[in-house]
Amino acid sequence: MMRLLGATLVAAGCGWMGFRAAAALKSQVRALEDMADGLSLLAQEMELDEPPLPELMERLARRCRGPAKLLFRDCRQALDRLEEEDFSQAWRKLAAERQELGEEGRQALLPLGDILGRCGCEDQRRGADSIRRRLTELADRAEEDRRRQGKVYQALGLSGGAFLVILLL
Amino acid sequence: MEQRTNIQAYQQAAGALPPHLRQAALALSDADQARTEEFRLRVGRPMSVVLPEREQELGGPTVEVRDLDQLVEIASKASLHAVLDQVRRGYLTMAGGHRIGLCGTAVLRDGEIHSLRQLSSANVRIARQVRGAAQPVREALCPGGTLVSTLILAPPGLGKTTLLRDLIRMASDGEGCAPQRVSLADERGEVAALYSGCPQLDVGGRTDVVEGCPKAQGLMLLLRAMNPQVLAVDEITAPEDVAALRTAAGCGVKLLATAHGSERADLERRALYRPLLEEGLFQKLVLIRRTGNLRNYMVEELD
Repeated sequence: MMRLLGATLVAAGCGWMGFRAAAALKSQVRALEDMADGLSLLAQEMELDEPPLPELMERLARRCRGPAKLLFRDCRQALDRLEEEDFSQAWRKLAAERQELGEEGRQALLPLGDILGRCGCEDQRRGADSIRRRLTELADRAEEDRRRQGKVYQALGLSGGAFLVILLL
Repeated sequence: MEQRTNIQAYQQAAGALPPHLRQAALALSDADQARTEEFRLRVGRPMSVVLPEREQELGGPTVEVRDLDQLVEIASKASLHAVLDQVRRGYLTMAGGHRIGLCGTAVLRDGEIHSLRQLSSANVRIARQVRGAAQPVREALCPGGTLVSTLILAPPGLGKTTLLRDLIRMASDGEGCAPQRVSLADERGEVAALYSGCPQLDVGGRTDVVEGCPKAQGLMLLLRAMNPQVLAVDEITAPEDVAALRTAAGCGVKLLATAHGSERADLERRALYRPLLEEGLFQKLVLIRRTGNLRNYMVEELD
């Protein structure tokens, strides 16, 4: 009875690990898409009425989802500490904290800190749009990976579990 | 009390400076902080403060280009695009109404200044409101308890804008006279110093402000949109301004305005101002004179 229980737990554990790896790929796709949507919204708001950065960040934090919401919320707070840290530095630091975007996603975001609030609206919109396109590419690629590797991870988890159960029994 | 207010204004303005320069600014004695009119930042030189009698270097580190960039970033809340129109005119207003003047290499587009790059120097003019500045002229300008149309005439630097601001506040809040709706065309943002939609200098609770557009257009906008009882404008400088004031007077609106000059004869001599007298747009003329450190106000009838 104990052996059967142990084997079931091992099988469930391996299966869970496989499904978890697949879910991580899915959540990265969603995070990249949310961030790309956030930048699209940023460009629209800029076009609408060219708001000052604190107001823009507030609006975006209210309307965005996932990592975009968190990043814009943190940036809004950073704008109250400009005497201690300039916005470009703060953006780099806060963008680097968004682990859910993956290494390439985070790297893609960094240059926006040198553009936001530092030039005319048209240049800022162009900069945001170019990074949005890059994030969309990364999201497409991550989606492709998820389709391909997600099933592999799930299958590996389940079959690894089954293999261990056979070995143990 | 006044010294404490002045020190607070100084420290608020110093808040826009990069940390190491702010530290040098805050090391100044309280007495000098209360008297300081401006900070001056020039690349390659230590920062200095402008006192009434002289400009004084503060020592400490020399100013670098990135210090000026940081000054603009802090003052604009990292929103250069939102203040670009002001920067094109060479200044920007920060919280508290303090004004930052900028110099650098102009970027031209179609022959007009598009922006400034590679900033070379800046000054931070500390905004200080003198509440009660209009007290000495209040009775003369409010016969029967209501403000009459008034023109303030003085050479630059004698406090025309300060007096105008306090007259607006007084008329708007009904301090010593009947309260009235005042509309202010504040082209350069020197009177009310709007920041995030809020006047940084007290212009009264019944005052509507339009900022950043040419005075004549601003006056007409206010006349059409805000139904003012008093219309105020700082520095009549163009025939269009006079035409707009004429229209407003024709609508029964009281006028408050300032002009450059030393005496009534200046108004009679200059073609720009002559219609103001001939058409009786103003009932009172306030002349400002300086005697030593004191300002004297003289009120004359213009009828």
